[in-house]
Amino acid sequence: MPGTNSSKIISVISRQAPYGSNRAHQSLDIALAAAVFEQTVNYIFMGDGVYQLLGNQNATSIQSKTLVNALETLDLYGIEGVYVDSQSLTERNLKPSDLSLVTSIVSRDEIAKIVQSSDSVFNL
Amino acid sequence: MSTLHTLSKAPSLGLLETCLSIIQSGDAVLLIEDGVYHCQQPAELLKKAGVKFYCLREDLIARGLIDRKLGAIETVNTQGFVDLCAAHDGIVNWF
Repeated sequence: MPGTNSSKIISVISRQAPYGSNRAHQSLDIALAAAVFEQTVNYIFMGDGVYQLLGNQNATSIQSKTLVNALETLDLYGIEGVYVDSQSLTERNLKPSDLSLVTSIVSRDEIAKIVQSSDSVFNL
Repeated sequence: MSTLHTLSKAPSLGLLETCLSIIQSGDAVLLIEDGVYHCQQPAELLKKAGVKFYCLREDLIARGLIDRKLGAIETVNTQGFVDLCAAHDGIVNWF
């Protein structure tokens, strides 16, 4: 049944580095699929997932697709809630200026609130 | 006898610590795949007396790390990977 009352809040927590496994890619597929069906999507980068956002990636050197280019489509699919865990950046000696995508840098408390407000959470 | 230790997972798994606890002088550590994220770690973590550290160039390029600070780590390409394998008596994979 179409309509606003069928729309749910879906949050995706992406915690893996971009090329060591396919989980980062699968997280993105989940988010884009949900967005196509007009769900409200939050996308959260935590842990090693923050590595997905580093600038100057070029995965042609390892015969893969550069994931960060695909992440730029989050905005095109109407996904505005893109968040990065501040603590995960600090633990990896990364600064917000190292990231190539415009995101909100948030605390663990804020992530907890996002999770709490979600109907479903995909944690990959 | 010398051993080449290849490490292919991100620092969050804590593999390097375990690897360095059993490593011998004359051994080498080659960071590959997600292991190359160790080059973002404080330089003192990548120091061990008598142990050389290497990083695979192709994996650094893929992950956007090629222009980042590498401290004392030498960068090698795939050919260098092969040369390192040939130069050591054995190989231990950490993953």
